[in-house]
Amino acid sequence: MNTMDELLNEVVPQEDLERFEKKYNHELELDGEVTTETKFEYSFCLVRSRYTNDIRKGIMILEELARTHPDGRRDYIYYLAFGNARIKEYTSGLKYCRAFLDIESNDQVRSLESEFQEYIKKQSDKEVAKGMAVAGGAALVLGGILGLGIAMAKNKQKREKK
Amino acid sequence: MSKVRSVVNRLHERIDYLIEKCPNMTAAPYNYNYIFKYIIIGDMGVGKSCLLHQFTEKKFMANCPHTIGVEFGTRIIEVDDKKIKLQIWDTAGQERFRAVTRSYYRGAAGALMVYDITRRSTYNHLSSWLTDTRNLTNPSTVIFLIGNKSDLESTREVTYEEAKEFADENGLMFLEASAMTGQNVEEAFLETARKIYQNIQEGRLDLNASESGVQHRPSQPSRTSLSNEATGAKDQCSC
Repeated sequence: MNTMDELLNEVVPQEDLERFEKKYNHELELDGEVTTETKFEYSFCLVRSRYTNDIRKGIMILEELARTHPDGRRDYIYYLAFGNARIKEYTSGLKYCRAFLDIESNDQVRSLESEFQEYIKKQSDKEVAKGMAVAGGAALVLGGILGLGIAMAKNKQKREKK
Repeated sequence: MSKVRSVVNRLHERIDYLIEKCPNMTAAPYNYNYIFKYIIIGDMGVGKSCLLHQFTEKKFMANCPHTIGVEFGTRIIEVDDKKIKLQIWDTAGQERFRAVTRSYYRGAAGALMVYDITRRSTYNHLSSWLTDTRNLTNPSTVIFLIGNKSDLESTREVTYEEAKEFADENGLMFLEASAMTGQNVEEAFLETARKIYQNIQEGRLDLNASESGVQHRPSQPSRTSLSNEATGAKDQCSC
């Protein structure tokens, strides 16, 4: 397992997710709006949840932050890529990585990018392999029938000789 | 027909023999006996990621950008003829990540607390980092204080002596190190592991506690699970 897998498989402790969710909802109820800080903390937990719906919600909050709060954009874009990786949206994840790398050279983002590229390659390889397996299977069946035919013919010859 | 049967029988024998000979053929055996979880903490820009990079890659990373959230690194080391896999979580030092990176403290067997010897403010904040560490880890977690950038002697703002005193007062291990030259980097990571291993040997660390930060790999390999909870020491340890 490589180091990126470890990061992607790490799951937020439930109590942390709940704590920052409470903070988020509390601000929303009290002031009708949520501070940038709280939004970020909550989304950081959401994208590390084990549930796809949580991750999607985290991505939505991060997208909004990336639009409205340019100061923290680099963090938002990284976690947008990260969240997309966790729900296997490799193409959009790759898009965020590239957007980041256009602005800043960064090894952390580069390793996420190569993760995406690897997955995308693996997926297309799988498609190719599937195609080959179907073709291979057909060849096998054909070979089996042929073999059976030859054996039967030989058998017949033997019996005829007797 | 009987010929085919004899061939099949011979194949069966061969398979039985192979299964007997290598029962673990399907699961790759672990090449380590223990996993220790580490965290690296400290103010922004003290060189946490550079220390990790120097330890795992034996290289200095110049112009290292601020870590986003958390990074991860591993290396297998040897203590007392036992192979130990270090799983190191390197946290972002930026204030905005402070609250959320607290998740990573839980279940750490070792905590490397880093300050920069050329910036006094990073030293002054140590007590707050220490409070977090004490509150969020176990009493048996080994805390190692690292004064980084020891190569920059001319701009030093924190003396070795006062940091050593702080470390002694708080029961921390301590070294000054340089992620740039590599001086003492290896030592800090390895001494932490030795101390953890010693705690295990002396029974001060309960391997069955899920938050000990240590997993023991029995000689018989078992399957790892991807989820966090399932990899806890409790589930893996056969003792």
